[in-house]
Amino acid sequence: MTKTQIITARLALLALVLGLWQVLPSNNVINPLLLPPLGDVLSMLWTLLGQPRVHEAIATTALEVLVAFIIAVPVGATLGVIIAESPYLTAIFKPILFYVFSVPKSIFLPLFILVFGIGFPQKVAYAAFTTGFVVLMSAMAAVESVKADHILVARSYGATRGQILTRIYIPSMMPILLETIRIAMIFNFTGVMIAEMYASRTGIGHLIAGWGENFQMQQLFAGVILLAATAILFNEIIRSLEARCSTWRT
Amino acid sequence: MTIRRPEPSTVRWAMLVTLLFLWEFVPTTGLLPELFLPALSSTLKVLYHDWRTYFGALLVTLYEVGFAMLISCGGGILVGALIGGVMTLRNLLLPVFSSLYAVPIVILYPVFTAWFGVGSESKIAFAGIYAFFPVMLSTAAGIRTIEPHFILAARAMGATTPQLVTRVVIPASLPTVFAGLRLGGALTIIGVVVSEMLTSAAGIGYLVTLNRTILESSRVFAAILMILILAVAYFMFARALERRVVVWQAAGKQPQQARDTTATVPVTATA
Repeated sequence: MTKTQIITARLALLALVLGLWQVLPSNNVINPLLLPPLGDVLSMLWTLLGQPRVHEAIATTALEVLVAFIIAVPVGATLGVIIAESPYLTAIFKPILFYVFSVPKSIFLPLFILVFGIGFPQKVAYAAFTTGFVVLMSAMAAVESVKADHILVARSYGATRGQILTRIYIPSMMPILLETIRIAMIFNFTGVMIAEMYASRTGIGHLIAGWGENFQMQQLFAGVILLAATAILFNEIIRSLEARCSTWRT
Repeated sequence: MTIRRPEPSTVRWAMLVTLLFLWEFVPTTGLLPELFLPALSSTLKVLYHDWRTYFGALLVTLYEVGFAMLISCGGGILVGALIGGVMTLRNLLLPVFSSLYAVPIVILYPVFTAWFGVGSESKIAFAGIYAFFPVMLSTAAGIRTIEPHFILAARAMGATTPQLVTRVVIPASLPTVFAGLRLGGALTIIGVVVSEMLTSAAGIGYLVTLNRTILESSRVFAAILMILILAVAYFMFARALERRVVVWQAAGKQPQQARDTTATVPVTATA
């Protein structure tokens, strides 16, 4: 298949899904109380975006996501690089990390609530905690992706430490670092959402949970569309940067 | 002269023992209030006295995990194999699914509770979907790593298509399938626990939330401990199974490499 054909096929698929979402509920094939037609959901989204209450929730959530991200990425990356640079520390921690990964971090939410209450600090602390592990793991992978041969060649040509860092480490690690940022953001967003849905007074997650409990399906789906679109948009932007930074590899 | 550093595994055990030690003595000596961190002994006491409650909750959770795994692992591995194996589908759909993966699935949970109620059905649906995407993506990626030489060699020696599938494709994709089971099971457990904590009336996650709201910290920690044990036990079980089944893969490779193929955890969303 050519590129145009693929894109056409994907657009057709998208149109089919969206079309069914509109047609099936409005003809009562699917109960519109359970799945409101797409048109109604979109007009509800438009209404919601005009409400100050929703503005406030978006601002709160965005700030939580941002602060948690700013804390988690440097801390996780530093720890990851320290561990990966030492074979001894790698031997100790690598097996532990596999276990840590299979444990649900959300069970520690009650701890965060006991320590921080249910406000802004608790959301940030929990999201940074869940994100930190991912960043740590990816940072380790990033260090491991630097080829020893490249360093050897650079050294034998007399490269200084600074040159090795800027000319070998950073370009080698760049694609993985960008991927780390992308995946960290997925986790971070999920962490903030879970924390807001679990116990909160503000934020989009809190609104969504409330709409779900009150069976306000139009509002609920409008919120889901808003969040999903934001997440996908961010993801795609970073992915295109990633593709640009790894062209030299092939 | 250098001091010999202790073996990494010794350090790990020492860390575990220290952790348990701190868990017991930090609260009992009053460094942290028991409300924040109840001592290990009082947590275990709760489990001992109330084992019926906790065991009953565990059964509910396991039941939900079992059904959700049918969706996440069963569905994820099948769809992943199909998408990874068929060129057209791969070009068409794989990028779409990797974009969708960015969406925090947890925002769909209110939809599932509205559709299926607060019983087990909504947990099964949520955890199934939550773990489906990572399993599917990792299977689709793994299925492409089958050595083309294997298929070429079998063809050259005159294998029929059924022979090719049963003797080459299925054995060669087993490592991928088992990696999918390990990943999918872990994520399914996470999904079930998260959804039980959010809105439910049964299960271990529910015990966490229920006891948190009435500030019974030792009961919260008893439930947390059970979930930790469940997650770690599943991980060890899945990895042991994986090692046993894919042992032939290690033949002729360096031991280090062989171990790495079974121990690689793809970076996936664990909430």
